[in-house]
Amino acid sequence: MPLINMPEFSGTLLDEFAARGTARIDTPVIQPAAPFLDMAGEDLRRRIFLTESETGESLCLRPEFTIPVCLRHIENATGTPRRYGYLGEVFRQRREGDNEFYQAGIEDLGETAVATADARAVNDAAQILANLIPGRKLDVTLGDQAVFEAVVKALGLPGGWQKRLIQSFGNNAHLRQLLMTLASPQAPSGLSPELSALLAKDDAALIAHIDQTMQDTGYSTNASRSPREIAARLKEKQSLTQTRLDGSALALLTEFLSLEMPLSQAPVALAGFADAAGLALGSAIVTFEARASAMEELGMDLDKVTYRAAFGRPLDYYTGLVFEVSRDNAVLAGGGRFDRLMTLLGANEDIPAVGFSLWLDRIEQARAR
Amino acid sequence: MSIITIALPSKGRMKEDASAIFERAGLPIVAVGNERSYRGKVEGHDDIEIAFLSASEIAREIGAGTVDFGVTGEDLIREGLIDADAKMEIAARLGFGHADVVVAVPEIWLDVDTMADLGDVAADFRARHGRRLQIATKYWRLTQQHFSSQHGIQLYRIVESLGATEGAPAAGQADIIVDITSTGSTLKANHLKILSDGVILKSEACLVRARKSEHETDARVKKIVEAVRSAL
Repeated sequence: MPLINMPEFSGTLLDEFAARGTARIDTPVIQPAAPFLDMAGEDLRRRIFLTESETGESLCLRPEFTIPVCLRHIENATGTPRRYGYLGEVFRQRREGDNEFYQAGIEDLGETAVATADARAVNDAAQILANLIPGRKLDVTLGDQAVFEAVVKALGLPGGWQKRLIQSFGNNAHLRQLLMTLASPQAPSGLSPELSALLAKDDAALIAHIDQTMQDTGYSTNASRSPREIAARLKEKQSLTQTRLDGSALALLTEFLSLEMPLSQAPVALAGFADAAGLALGSAIVTFEARASAMEELGMDLDKVTYRAAFGRPLDYYTGLVFEVSRDNAVLAGGGRFDRLMTLLGANEDIPAVGFSLWLDRIEQARAR
Repeated sequence: MSIITIALPSKGRMKEDASAIFERAGLPIVAVGNERSYRGKVEGHDDIEIAFLSASEIAREIGAGTVDFGVTGEDLIREGLIDADAKMEIAARLGFGHADVVVAVPEIWLDVDTMADLGDVAADFRARHGRRLQIATKYWRLTQQHFSSQHGIQLYRIVESLGATEGAPAAGQADIIVDITSTGSTLKANHLKILSDGVILKSEACLVRARKSEHETDARVKKIVEAVRSAL
């Protein structure tokens, strides 16, 4: 890698990472493609550079660092907690900007004090950017997947609807669509008379019927969805279509999603919202408050951090905090908590994880202005 | 005067049906040299050249602008070209080669009738089976557009399938398919059903024009389009 291509502040950045007690980690530029496609979905396929090994394995040029760093951590089995710092080139097909650019960041793996680890990640990103771009206003926006999940659960919707809503958190167009569906009466699902009769019977009969049909039609019962799984979801679906969100619940959900305020006011406002709505938001609120205080203890001005309730990322491994630091609407740093990622990637035990990455090309532009 | 190139399917029903329409349009096509030649011309029009190509190559050549017109399925155009509408114009729908690109799941998935149902199943799949929901298809682009952009479904993997796609779910190579169907009989024979909102594209053979600036001042281009339209 030609060092002269690196952003001129790379050295400063690596010093920052070292001063914050992180261990430098590097990962191969050529990565197996499957983990990225599995985690982020097929949509990523047209945004990465794919190639194939001689044996047919799908490979790609490193599109980001989080997954490679996590995989390397699992491979090295160095134990936790560990904080890694990285800086290197990533490769993506973009409509605007170069296809290869630098990213740097910190991944904090295995720290069980969730609130303080969260606060440290936000503070590290904000401070590093403030040092790199001194004297300019940076916008810090924060959201929390766990708070949204707690609100949805407290509303008492059937499990299937909860899953749909939680899964689409962060994809606001899709979420709005779901809320509209929930608000309007459902068309009755067209169950055939035989199926209605089967549903009226006990679970065992339904499962046996599905199993028999699978055997008759040559569908193996173990490779894909099992008769038990299909039967269970069929019952769940019945309750889904019969559900209609009553007006007040819908209004509450909409009200929650529209919340936007300085983080300094957010804990009180969320508690007030929960009280007024009669919802018990439990540990999600406790963590939220603890994180906010931890950020304050680290010296962050919470009046200058925006909490936006609808801010999230529609990827199923994000579990709590999400945040962005931007300037003039250009996102310079993005981060969040991804407690589910490590086990999805093959770790044997749950490893809490939080981190952020810095877009060095955008930082370079922001510094030049 | 420059030569106008029209790419036509090189074999099968598509070739015959396309030739018949051009014949009715007063543009009878004859092969250059012997019957099996891949080059042809239009009788009485020395300035029109016919290139016989495979249907998917026609989509590619239209995208690259190396031919002026092509006859091919809309599915292949939309699958083969990024920003298809910026690169080509559908000048006429020809009324043959009807086929729908559809999302089909095993009939026995009694709980799955819509894309929303499929989204639920996909969201849970990894937790239940240790892998993502797998879709067998040769339509990567159309599948991604339909699943991601239209229905917000991200969590699936595409398994490339270049033939006999309908057999993939029963064979255990994939869970569901995105494929082309004209009568639905092959799907039925393989115990698959189309989702109620699972029709991605209603495709048929089209006369497609590559968007080229020189066409704007070329009266022959307009004439060819009008002749073909009048033959429908």
